[in-house]
Amino acid sequence: MSEKRYTKREGFKISSIPLTYKHAIPVSKTEKFWKGLAEGKIYATRCKICGSLYSPPQADCANCRSADMEWVEVPEEGVLVTFTKVYARPQGYEGFDPYIIAIVEAGDVRVMGWVMNINDETKLKIGSKVKIKPVYIEKHDKYIIGFYV
Amino acid sequence: MRRVAVVGVGMSAFGVRNDVTIQELVWEAVREALDDSGLEQKDIELSVVGTVNTRGYELMPAVVVNEYSGLTGRGPLRVEAACATGSAALWTAYSAVASGQVDVAIAIGVEKMNEVDTATSLAVGGRAGNYLWEFHMYGTTFPAYYAFYATAHMQKFGTTEEQMAMVAVKNHKYASRNPKAHFQFEVTLEEVLKSRPIAWPLKLLDCSPISDGAAATVLASEDVARKITDTPVWIEAIGYSSDTSNFTRRPHYLGLEATRKAAEMAYRRSGVEPRQVEVAEVHDCFTIAEIMAYEDLGWVEKGKGGIFIAEGQSELGGKVSVNLSGGLKAKGHPLGATGLAQIYELVKQLREERERGRQAPLRNYIALSHNVGGTGHYAYVTILRR
Repeated sequence: MSEKRYTKREGFKISSIPLTYKHAIPVSKTEKFWKGLAEGKIYATRCKICGSLYSPPQADCANCRSADMEWVEVPEEGVLVTFTKVYARPQGYEGFDPYIIAIVEAGDVRVMGWVMNINDETKLKIGSKVKIKPVYIEKHDKYIIGFYV
Repeated sequence: MRRVAVVGVGMSAFGVRNDVTIQELVWEAVREALDDSGLEQKDIELSVVGTVNTRGYELMPAVVVNEYSGLTGRGPLRVEAACATGSAALWTAYSAVASGQVDVAIAIGVEKMNEVDTATSLAVGGRAGNYLWEFHMYGTTFPAYYAFYATAHMQKFGTTEEQMAMVAVKNHKYASRNPKAHFQFEVTLEEVLKSRPIAWPLKLLDCSPISDGAAATVLASEDVARKITDTPVWIEAIGYSSDTSNFTRRPHYLGLEATRKAAEMAYRRSGVEPRQVEVAEVHDCFTIAEIMAYEDLGWVEKGKGGIFIAEGQSELGGKVSVNLSGGLKAKGHPLGATGLAQIYELVKQLREERERGRQAPLRNYIALSHNVGGTGHYAYVTILRR
């Protein structure tokens, strides 16, 4: 191994005045999705005019410019499309053990979620069948989409 | 549209630059670019400042860096396209010159990433998708997004962790010969494979570092360029595209559609064929990204990128010499600066001014830069010719 040469220059510093953001996110147009998770349901939206499907759900159809949407339930079973396990966790997730995030295809839509019942990512296979259901995450007091292989 | 030439390039040393503020860092690049062009600030009619700057304390820095560089009154326009911000700045300055609105413009790219800690940096990078539907719910990170592609590419095409590691070994090798690189040391295949997991299957040495840096490019119309330099480098075309912010809405995870479309536009507009490109800087923020780039830029068929690196086709003097600067992987990846640092490298390559051991052999003098924003959220492909 060669000698490790880096560009790393340090110097005299002062602290900034801290700035904290805590947003109140207006999700009234997708309220049914957020409340649905707590009731065990996962929703997408479909445009009543042109049939376009949106997952995650959105209130407006950019395809035909309609706002005439209906809520449709995402199927309870799907297929694993890809996945990763996050070891280097970001601020806000420091309190979690490394977690597996996956993309699952369910019927005509795809959803992102956490794989809840497998810890060893090398045991997972793309194409595997999974059950999809919302799960409560106590640390964040929120519901997310969970996958069960 | 008028022809546009690069007439001056500058770049700061990349790395942890906790010795300077954002404006001081920018000046290192602007001063070199002005010196290189032989022009003065009064000759510059428009300044375009590219920075993502979601980690900085100076939230609206364009006017700050412009003033420090003596460019007050000449712009600035601020642009942002995630990690492709430098190329978005280049496109904006290029368009202003090509359209005839100005004769001389400067594109500046800068990022300060080390004034906050790594966890904060990961949280900012993980929001470079769609915060509400992804980071908020699942704690996505930037490495995780590319890991989704790596997992899918490995399973579909048999791409291996060893092949990905070869990209790191190659790019560290060239960075060790680049005095402006963040990492100026070589790594072995074994070191890459044994480095700690960041987002499986990506390991620490598959990832580009968190770097500070600035780069600047002076552009001029053909009339001006012919008067001031004997070595203009022509921008033949800039192609651009984008993809969905919601990762779940991508059609597949085997390559970047935005890269494919941007490349198609750049090749079509320039009349250059993929096989004519001799030297390239591609967006290797993670090793899998370089492997997909070989495919999406048309140098090898889809799925064969792993074989391309294993056969040495992207080495100096191979089919196309890729990332002789060390790439984002080892030269460093200060988001807003990256696209213009690629131009800096390629202009130096085309002028045959690089150090021994990393100057590409040239016959056609055609170069390509490939700059991706986010995980294929944006892509720019620029074709340069001397």
